[in-house]
Amino acid sequence: MKAIKDSVAGSLESSDVLVTLRPSSEAAVSLQVESIVMKQYGRRITAVAEELVAATGLSGASLRIQDRGALECTLRARLETAIARATA
Amino acid sequence: MGNPLLEAREARWARRLELARGLGAGGSLLSLTLRLPAPLRVGREGAGLGQGLYAALRRASIDAGLGPGRGEFRLSADGPEGYLELDVGLAEAKELALGFEEGHPWGELADLDAMGPGGSVLGRAELGRRPRSCLVCGAEAAACVAGRSHGLEEIRRAAEVLLGGPLGPPGTRAASGAAAPELTLGPRGPWAGAMGESSRAIGEAALRALVAEAAAEPKPGLVSPSSRGAHLDMDYGSFLASAAALAPWFETFARLGRGFGGREPDELLPSLRAAGLEAERDMLAATGGVNTHKGLIFSLGLLCAASGLLAGRGERLEAGACARMAARIVRGICERDFAGLAGREASTLSAGERLRLGSGLGGARAEAEGGFPSVVGASLPRLRAGLSAGLGRGEALVDALLVLFGQVEDSNVLARCGPEGLELLRSSSARALGLGGMATEAGREAVAAMNEEFAARRLSPGGCADLLALTAFLAELPG
Repeated sequence: MKAIKDSVAGSLESSDVLVTLRPSSEAAVSLQVESIVMKQYGRRITAVAEELVAATGLSGASLRIQDRGALECTLRARLETAIARATA
Repeated sequence: MGNPLLEAREARWARRLELARGLGAGGSLLSLTLRLPAPLRVGREGAGLGQGLYAALRRASIDAGLGPGRGEFRLSADGPEGYLELDVGLAEAKELALGFEEGHPWGELADLDAMGPGGSVLGRAELGRRPRSCLVCGAEAAACVAGRSHGLEEIRRAAEVLLGGPLGPPGTRAASGAAAPELTLGPRGPWAGAMGESSRAIGEAALRALVAEAAAEPKPGLVSPSSRGAHLDMDYGSFLASAAALAPWFETFARLGRGFGGREPDELLPSLRAAGLEAERDMLAATGGVNTHKGLIFSLGLLCAASGLLAGRGERLEAGACARMAARIVRGICERDFAGLAGREASTLSAGERLRLGSGLGGARAEAEGGFPSVVGASLPRLRAGLSAGLGRGEALVDALLVLFGQVEDSNVLARCGPEGLELLRSSSARALGLGGMATEAGREAVAAMNEEFAARRLSPGGCADLLALTAFLAELPG
């Protein structure tokens, strides 16, 4: 599933995450992760994002994740929404 | 997306960016949410706490010399949210926020974000401040939240310790039929007899009365946390937003009374009216044009002014004296305001004025000019009796409301449902009180039935609701 437009999901409020997705010319998905709990959860956030990218078959996109301490279920929901909005 | 909480948060973020785009160059926006997990944040306890925190934040802003700002408070699926636009720079607004979060007794439960024009944000890290610590264990809060380090009950206990009272498990009333614990707003300690004599204390008591009235339930035909009653255009959130907007005004009314001095009390009325019109404008702005508290601005504003006047003269602040002083301030108001109605074209009259001509009823003006006889003589004694008999504040207020239903020719009811409506108000409340009111199962069932019938007939005793708020206010005074 190729990203065809810019999309955003979530917010920069505490305990939430802002996911920004942009179409890119490269086939692979590039991932950029920032988090206020990078030390503890940075690897987990990256793993969840990679898992969802694989599961949805997303391609041709750059994905930016600005995490403000979101729960994993929130992160998943925001990623799914951003991907759905970019590929619809 | 399908998750109402996440959708509400996205909508809030969009609202913040929108408000931030509208800021002037030197302005900033604070937004308030509760720093509690969703199950504790949404529902009536969360609503009461959010409202209390929002009002406290606006006071903190005034105290810090940053002005009352322009505000907006509402309840979303994600819980209460407040916005405050200030005419100061982002750094100053963030300092106010940090001071509140760290200095106010409830500040630890508030989550305040600051945004500048165009959506720039300023976090603790940029100011070289330490990240917020966890309510429960004091470690870095974000890590505890992201990792779900603490259970709901653990967090609830920590919040209750901070509040000095119960937060209350949401939904217990529906689940067990028992009264849900109520959050005490304002200073800790007993609700009744809590009012001090400073203008600020009088204003705070007025706000407590508004919120206590709005939160009491079930109130047949009226807006409460779980029902819109007979109303389609307003809900509990409208009342909280309105209360938040009016909070500083009640203090103003008290101050006008206190500074008035020894002249004849009725000379105070013109300045109260001018302030009342401003307060009304703020109310309409806060509710999106809905009239939630217009009658109450008049009558409770009057009681605040009367309290201030008595306090300023060093007289004993007591319920009966306060009501009598209010009557002296509005002496002659019915005659003046209603004079000349008879000579006017019917098409130029308002609904209330037509009602006055047709029935001779004077509504809120007459009640005030008579020294609030329905309150002082009926609903206040009933409220005090209920509280001393051990009823919860909400239940005692509902009983007092039933007493008002039987006493008052409510002009809202008369205008909408005619004399039949008044008769229904009287007979159904007499029956519910005869069954024991909120103290008995049968009484509570009768009130629940009234609730449904009033909603179906669109019968809304708004005049009685106003008098109930006055009752809650006067209950804080001795005598």
